[in-house]
Amino acid sequence: MSTPAERSGWEEDATRNPERGGHCTPEHCVIRIEHLCKTFRDKQRTVTAVDDVTFDVKRGEIFGLLGPNGAGKSTLIRILTTLLSPTSGTAFVGEYEITKDPEQIRRIIGVCPQNSTLDSELTAYDNLEFYGKLEDVDDRILPDRIWELLQMVGLTDRAYMKVQTFSGGMKRKLEIVRAFIHRPLILFLDEPTIGLDPESRREVWQQIETLNAENTTIILTTHYMDEAEKLCGRIAFVNQGRLISLDTMDNLRLLLPAGDLIEIGFDRIDERVLSEIRAHDLVISAEVKDQRLFISARRGSTVLPAILAVFDRYSVPLTTIAIRSPSLEDVFIHLTGKNLSDGLPGGDAEQKGKGRGYGR
Amino acid sequence: MIKGAIAIFKRDFKKFLGNPFVIIFTLLMPIMYLVIFGNAMGGTISHVSLAVVQEEPYVTGTPLFDAVVADLKHMAQRDSPPTFDIIVYTDELKAKRALQTGVVSGVLIFPSPLFSDRPMRLYVDSSDSVTPSVIISGVNAALVQSGFRNQVEINKIYGDIKYLQFFGVGVIVMAIFMTTMMGGGIALIKDREMGIIEGYFVTPVKRSSIIMGMIASGTVRAFLSGFVIFIVDLLITGIVLQTTENFFMVLLVLFITSIGITSFMVSMASRFSNQQEYASMSAFFNLILFMTSGAFYPVIGMPDWLRWITIINPEYYAVHALRSIILRGQGLDVIGLDLIALSIFSIAAMILGIATYRRTLE
Repeated sequence: MSTPAERSGWEEDATRNPERGGHCTPEHCVIRIEHLCKTFRDKQRTVTAVDDVTFDVKRGEIFGLLGPNGAGKSTLIRILTTLLSPTSGTAFVGEYEITKDPEQIRRIIGVCPQNSTLDSELTAYDNLEFYGKLEDVDDRILPDRIWELLQMVGLTDRAYMKVQTFSGGMKRKLEIVRAFIHRPLILFLDEPTIGLDPESRREVWQQIETLNAENTTIILTTHYMDEAEKLCGRIAFVNQGRLISLDTMDNLRLLLPAGDLIEIGFDRIDERVLSEIRAHDLVISAEVKDQRLFISARRGSTVLPAILAVFDRYSVPLTTIAIRSPSLEDVFIHLTGKNLSDGLPGGDAEQKGKGRGYGR
Repeated sequence: MIKGAIAIFKRDFKKFLGNPFVIIFTLLMPIMYLVIFGNAMGGTISHVSLAVVQEEPYVTGTPLFDAVVADLKHMAQRDSPPTFDIIVYTDELKAKRALQTGVVSGVLIFPSPLFSDRPMRLYVDSSDSVTPSVIISGVNAALVQSGFRNQVEINKIYGDIKYLQFFGVGVIVMAIFMTTMMGGGIALIKDREMGIIEGYFVTPVKRSSIIMGMIASGTVRAFLSGFVIFIVDLLITGIVLQTTENFFMVLLVLFITSIGITSFMVSMASRFSNQQEYASMSAFFNLILFMTSGAFYPVIGMPDWLRWITIINPEYYAVHALRSIILRGQGLDVIGLDLIALSIFSIAAMILGIATYRRTLE
């Protein structure tokens, strides 16, 4: 998991009290966001995509921006990468202010946008070459660099094939390596593994970690909890344009009550079963929702046989049973009262919007 | 089957209604055709400059000279300005030089008072498809009206030039425009539409680099297609260029024209984010510029308000320059002004393109 030495010690962070946001020293801080707002207006309505967001990103970390679709993650990234200008507030990337020195910022960042921006009519090599020239990579080292990157993603044999013949995973990997052809100081990855199979995701993760080891600061947005848990040192939750929470993974877990989550499916339940389970010493809470019983309990695996015994005693048949540790998903549900998105690994689509049960 | 067809119909129609820009241009096109094409092609010819010279020994007007010139001066189509602008020259050679450099469209030389029964000599710029016949019929009419019975000896200074040859030159310019319309700038819009633009906007590439790069590639393509059509035109119309110098001058004009029109289209393209809108806009400009360029029909036949458009129309200068070289074998002294006008236009278009290019996603 992702706790290299340089990432520890950030436990008390800026977000819980946003006023502290700008106080990070330049040596440690690579991005500083101060009261950033972005509103989109059209004839019908006004949408606030980023709403008074303040936080810092520290040099060398992998920073995760987490939130459901439409939370404002991409807008935030686009503002930081000079593609959009903020409605109010400001941000510094490196030592440059986003509205004053966009040119300088573009020199030190690498960006992999959410949607593919590869030119599918060009070959993999040409795509990288085009980009390398735009990024002003020295012509003498550019060819070597391109082959190095192609090798990194295992596409050397496809170098001269048009990108439109590539699979989704190959395109994605190519696009990610393209973003750091010029060895940027900061790398922005907007949903880097969206739509990839598990194998490709692991490869992308590996790449990200390799890059981070070379002292590149990485900011990634995702709505995959497992991705954020695996990679990110610190995680910022964004919802409806607002920063809800920012902390390390470990600290975020503290927001949840200690213990594990046990989930039992049934066809019908007996009130006596419930009261008996609730009476158990290690059980913190037990609630019924949609033909399921959600139990929060300390040392879940120890408690489980006892709970099953109760069901057995009253002859209540079970349909499913699951036990797990609380994940980032649960933190998010705890913070916002809703799921990140449907069909997430480890997430339950059915309890969307009313799943704040366990913690209380 | 019906259900599917209706679904397709509905989707298409919704998209059509959702794009007012395209609707406006769709309606504007036929109206512009009516106004511009109708006026450019069918307009009455007026203000044809005609030089009149009295042969030596020069005396203040022989009866023939006075009568014919007076008639010519007052000649006009109904409700139109005078057909001819008469310029009196005293020197035949000067008048002919004016004809060669395109200052006047014809020279009418009256016989010496000593031999007043000799024919009048009429020299016309035959590289123009329309004005020679207007001048010839005008002179004949004036002669009949005046009651003199002199003959008119007609000299076409560039020989017989067919309409095909006249029009062929315009087609070369059209080739350049079509290439820029299909290619120039549309890649920019495609990039924006497909989001590829997001990929390179985050790089340090300057917006002037983006525009200049687009113009450079568009210019090369436009030049090549102009060149191909130029060669095809020579083969089809059977025109033979007089000198190699002329050949290279044509290439120069093609090149500067390509830069000008490509820059214009790229600078327009940078304002659009929708291919459809761009396509209707460029078709619209194609029409206006080509119609008023004089490629089909001499500019002299256009109403005055339309002639103003030609002043800022790069294709007008291109057509004029190419016609001067290809049909009349004229040199830099005549096309110099065209080249300057084209260059000014190109530079203005480039500056406009760079200044208005949106280097953000907004």
